Amino acid sequence: MNNLDIKKELVKMLGPDKVLTNDLDLMYYSYDSSFLTKLQPATPTAVVLPVSTAAVQQVVRFAYENGINIIPRGAGTGETGGCVATEGGIVIDLSRWREIVEIDVNNMQVMVRPGVIHADLNDELAKFNLFFPPDPGSSKMCTVGGMVANNASGLRAVKYWTTEPYVLGLEVVTPTGDVIITGGQQARCIKNVSGLNLTKLMVGSEGVLGIVTLIRLRCFPRPMARGIAMAVFDHLDDAPATVLDVYQAGVLPSGIEILDGSAIKAVNDFKPQINLPDAEAILLFEVDGNPPGVEFEGQIIKEVAGRRARQVEWSTDKKRMAELWEGRSITATAAARVRSDGSRIFAGEDISVPISKVAEVLRAIRALGDKYGIKVVNYGHIGDGNVHCAPVINPEQPHEVELVQKLVDDIHLLAIEMNGSTTGEHGVGAARRGYAVLEHGPAVEYMKKVKAAFDPKGIMNPGKLF
Amino acid sequence: MEFRELPPVKEQIMKCVRCGKCRELCPVFGEIGIENASPRGHVFMVQMLRDGKVEPTSEVYERLGQCLMCETCSANCPSGIDVHELNAAARAYLTQNNPNRGKDFLYGNFWTKPELMKQSIKLASLAQRMGLQKLARNIGLTRLLPGDLKDAEKILEHIPPRSARSTLPAFTPAQGGTKYRVGYFLGCGTDFLSPEIAQATVNVLSRNGCEVYIPEGLKCCGLPHIANGKLDVAQQLTIHNINLFKKLNVDYIITDCGSCSATLTEKNLHFVLQGTTYQEEAADFAARVMDLTVFLVDVLDIQVDVHTDRKWRVTYHDPCHLVNAQGITAQPRELLRRIPGVELVEMPQAASCCGGSGTYSVTHHQVSMQILDKKMSNAVSTGADILATCCPSCIMQLNFGCRRSNWDAEVLHPVVLLDRVYQQAPAAV
Repeated sequence: MNNLDIKKELVKMLGPDKVLTNDLDLMYYSYDSSFLTKLQPATPTAVVLPVSTAAVQQVVRFAYENGINIIPRGAGTGETGGCVATEGGIVIDLSRWREIVEIDVNNMQVMVRPGVIHADLNDELAKFNLFFPPDPGSSKMCTVGGMVANNASGLRAVKYWTTEPYVLGLEVVTPTGDVIITGGQQARCIKNVSGLNLTKLMVGSEGVLGIVTLIRLRCFPRPMARGIAMAVFDHLDDAPATVLDVYQAGVLPSGIEILDGSAIKAVNDFKPQINLPDAEAILLFEVDGNPPGVEFEGQIIKEVAGRRARQVEWSTDKKRMAELWEGRSITATAAARVRSDGSRIFAGEDISVPISKVAEVLRAIRALGDKYGIKVVNYGHIGDGNVHCAPVINPEQPHEVELVQKLVDDIHLLAIEMNGSTTGEHGVGAARRGYAVLEHGPAVEYMKKVKAAFDPKGIMNPGKLF
Repeated sequence: MEFRELPPVKEQIMKCVRCGKCRELCPVFGEIGIENASPRGHVFMVQMLRDGKVEPTSEVYERLGQCLMCETCSANCPSGIDVHELNAAARAYLTQNNPNRGKDFLYGNFWTKPELMKQSIKLASLAQRMGLQKLARNIGLTRLLPGDLKDAEKILEHIPPRSARSTLPAFTPAQGGTKYRVGYFLGCGTDFLSPEIAQATVNVLSRNGCEVYIPEGLKCCGLPHIANGKLDVAQQLTIHNINLFKKLNVDYIITDCGSCSATLTEKNLHFVLQGTTYQEEAADFAARVMDLTVFLVDVLDIQVDVHTDRKWRVTYHDPCHLVNAQGITAQPRELLRRIPGVELVEMPQAASCCGGSGTYSVTHHQVSMQILDKKMSNAVSTGADILATCCPSCIMQLNFGCRRSNWDAEVLHPVVLLDRVYQQAPAAV
C-alpha cells in the first residue's frame, strides 16, 4: 500500500481531525528530545491522534494487515528517539488522550489514559491526599504513558523507586490488534502474583510489544512534611562519600541529587534567585514523612554531611525548598548556559553505575570531557547511582558533532565497564540499541523472541531497544 | 537585515534541545494539542526555513501564525530562547515571500497613519451607534464575513465615538509643583478603544506632580506589525517615535499599555532595529520607558489619601506582555492595594493568557475563545466585581469574556479606578 492510500484509509477510519497527513505537519513528528533525531530526523508516513481504545485498535489492525510500522508517542520528551519513526510508519500520538478515568481512593489507585501529564495527575491526586511517587524532571510535560513505556523514575527513586512497582495493571492493544488487560481483568487488588507478570514485561518495553491505552496505578498517601538539606563541597569526591555516610547513619532520604560546578553555574545563570553557592559539588537531600521524623532525619543529615561539606543548609521553608528543588529539576536543559554559543545535547546522558563507583565515574567523565575538549555538565540522582551528564557543544559545528559522538560512546562503554548500565531511566530507544549485545549478551536473543511472540510481523516500533 | 543573518536566527535555533517544557506552558498548544502548535515546533520550523528544508510558503506561515506571541515560552525556556523573536523573524521572511495586498494596506499603510485610523474608527463608532452593526447581524449580513470574522466582529461591541487624542491636550501641567516631565506614549489600543484610560492616566500623572506631554504625530509602537510579518514597517515606526520623543527631552516615557511597554524595551528594540544605526539611541529611549503602574508605585510612590465609602472586590489579570516580557507583576497589584476601598483577590492562574493578543482574537477566533473561556472561569471564581488589567487589548477581550460568561464585572485599568477615587476629592491646585 502506498503512502497516499495509507493516509486516505486512516482519514476514512478516524476522520480528518484525528489524522495528520500534510507533509509539513508530519515533519513536526520527526524529532523528540534526542541528539540522534536532531542529526537524523525521521518523518512518519502519517500521524494519528486517537482518544479511544477502539480507535487505537482500528489503526493497529489496519497496520498489522498491511504490514505498516506503528510507533506510539507521548509528549515527545524522550531522549532516545524512541517515539520517532526511524524506520518509517504511522506515529500514534497519544498525548491528547488526557483522561483521568477514575481515582479509586478506597483502593489507593488511579486509572488514567496514556496522555495524562504527570504533574497534572499529582495535582488531581493531591485533592485526595494521594500521590504517584516517581518524580521525573520532566514532570510538567511528560505523559504517564511515556513514563510507563520507559519505566521512568527521577528525583525520588532513592526511596520510591521507579514507575514499574506502581503499575498494577494495563490495558494494551497488542501488535496484532488484540486488546488485553494485564494484572487481572477485573482486579482492583494491590498484590497479585497470579500468572506470568505481563505488566512488568510491558513496563519499560518502550513500545515494542504493544500500545498501552489504560494504566492502573498504585498511589501512596502524600507525605505530611518535607525538608531539604543542601550540602556544599569544595572537593567533588566528598559528595559521593557523604551519600554513603548518610545511608550508614540509617537515613533513607526520598531523593539525593548532585550538581557539579558547571551545573551550579548553569542553574544560577538561568534563575539567579535560586543563588546556589559556588562549589565543586552540591548535594541536595530531600526527606519526607511525618513532621518530627523529617526534622529528626534532617538534623542527622546536617550533622553527617557537615563532616565533609563546607556548609550545610537545612530548610523546611516551602519557598526555599521549591527553589532548591527547581534548581535541580531545571539543570537538564539549563546546562547549555555554561557556553554562550552552545547547546546541551541528550546523548550519553543517563548512565547508571554502582553507588560505590560514582566518584570514579564522575572523575572519568571529567577526564573524557578534557580529552575531547568538550564541556560536560554533571548532575543526577547520585543516591541510586544514576548519573546525568550533559555535553555542551555547538551542534551546528560538524567537528564538534564528530567529537561528541566519540565522547558519548566512551561514556556508554565506561558505564558497562564499571558494572553499570547505559541507561538508568531514559531508555534505549534508537540511540543506545547498539550497546544491547555488549550489555546483555545472549539475553538479547531472548528479548527478540519475546518481541516476536507479541509482534510476529515486527511492525511495533521497530529499530528500538536492540 | 536578511532573515538568516538575524541574530536570533543565527544564534538561538541551535540552543533548542526540544525538551518540550514549552508545550505545556503554551496556551495555544493547550487548546490544539498538535506539535505544529507547540513553541518547540515553531523553533523547529524556523530552523527548517533557515536551512532551506521547507519553502517559505503561506502554509508555513499558517503554522507559525498559530502562536499568539504571549512570550510565555520565551520567559520560561531553560535554554534561554526567545521563541517569539524567532517566530517574528520568520513571519517577516514569509511575508516578504508571500505578498498580500490586504496585509500591505492594513499594516503598511492604515496602521501607520494615526489620522486615517482616527477617522475610520470614528466612522465605525458612528455606524455602531446608528445600529448598523446590529442591523447587519439581524439581517444576516455579518454571516457573509470571511472566516472567523462573522463571530469575531462581536468583540467590538462598543467603539468609543472619540479617540483619546481628540480630547486630550498635547500638554497638561503638573498640579502642585513639577516633579517630572513625562512623555505619554499613548498607544493605539488606549487611544481608540479605551480612551477613558488615557484620560485617567493624564489626570493621575498630573495630580501627582507630572507635566504630561503627548507628542504630536505619535505612531503605533509597532507590535501589530512585528506580529504580522511587517518587521520593516515596525522599524520605521520605532525610528519615527524615537525621534519624536528625543525632541521632548522628558524624564520618563510612560505608557499604560503592557504591549507598548514590552515593545519598547531595550531588548525588543534591539531586535527590531537590527541592521540600523539606531541601537544606541534606542537604548537611551528604552531606558526612559516605563509602565504606568511601575512609575506610580516605584518612582512616585503615591499614597492615596482620599476617603471613600465605596468597596470594590478586585481581581487582577496579568497581561502577557507585562508578566512574560517584563516580569512586572507586583506593581499593578500594589497600586490596586493602595486604592482606598479595594480588596484584592487573586484568581487562579492570573498570569495565564486571555487569548486576546491584539488581532489574534480575530485571526484565530475559535482558539482565542477557548483560551478566553478558561481565563473567565478562573476570574469568575473570585466573585470579584472588578476585573483589572493593564492592557487595552486584554480589556477588550475580557469585556467580551464577561459578556460570553454573563458575568457583570467591570473590566478596567487600575488607573481608571484610581482616577475615579481621586475625582471624589479634587486636588488642591
